Amino acid sequence: MGETTQIASSAPIGAGRPQFVRLAFAVIVGGVFIYAGGAKLFDPLRFASDISNYNILPWSVAVRLAFYLPWLEVLCGFALIFQRLFNGAVLITGALMLIFLGASVSAKARGINISCGCFGSASGSLSFAWHLALDLVLLAVLVALWFWPKRASR
Amino acid sequence: MRVSLGGQLLLLLGLAFIPAIGQALYYRQMVSWEKAPVDSALVSVAQAQSWGDRVLWLDARPDQDFARAHIPGALQLNEDEWDEQLRMMLTAWSPERKVVVYCSQKSCNASHEVAERLRKEARLTNVYVLDGGWEEWERQHK
Repeated sequence: MGETTQIASSAPIGAGRPQFVRLAFAVIVGGVFIYAGGAKLFDPLRFASDISNYNILPWSVAVRLAFYLPWLEVLCGFALIFQRLFNGAVLITGALMLIFLGASVSAKARGINISCGCFGSASGSLSFAWHLALDLVLLAVLVALWFWPKRASR
Repeated sequence: MRVSLGGQLLLLLGLAFIPAIGQALYYRQMVSWEKAPVDSALVSVAQAQSWGDRVLWLDARPDQDFARAHIPGALQLNEDEWDEQLRMMLTAWSPERKVVVYCSQKSCNASHEVAERLRKEARLTNVYVLDGGWEEWERQHK
């Protein structure tokens, strides 16, 4: 008598591609946050100056945030890529994007022309409009990831 | 093991503190924790004006702000049109001139960004940032 081979049930037709796209989005956004956080890790004083220039927070708070936020970004980036603590990472990165967007628009409205500081020294080569566009795209993807459920593997 | 959303948030927010505190401890002697550091490249309006014709004024603000009003004789140099404007700026520059970059006000950092790029990329020395920016110039010239 031959061995019976148990065939694992396959995922429903059409379930693979959307999940691949979801994973691709998560990896891309996670990668952006790792890059953004990593760029700021090497020059926390510059990032503190960028935060302070929005004229919203005092220096004493800005400098402490400048040491904390990049690590939070990097950690959330890895959480998105490796799909661990995923919803928490989406919520935190989404909140960070909203805060950055709000602060940037507020600064612009007050006539303060500043560098976003989002990507450390690399921010200098991006205009305000490009920063805004990139931030909006990232926010849109994060919202999509929040409402896009991960299909449980069978 | 499924972690609740609140647990995920606490874990991520809490774990980020560990390397952050480590880095802050490493920098603790190098950082001014309570007051912003003073920029040695800052120059006041009065000081810049005392240099007379030797000053090359550079406006780092967006195009529409420059078009509205700017310091007489200032050239534009912002990061949106860097290459083209830098070429024009260098035709007006000479080693004896002192470059003073300004943006809208004291807290903007566009002028600092431009000044830093001039020092690093164009290898210019004698590059300064106007303390108070356009707002201070306007206030003193009303």
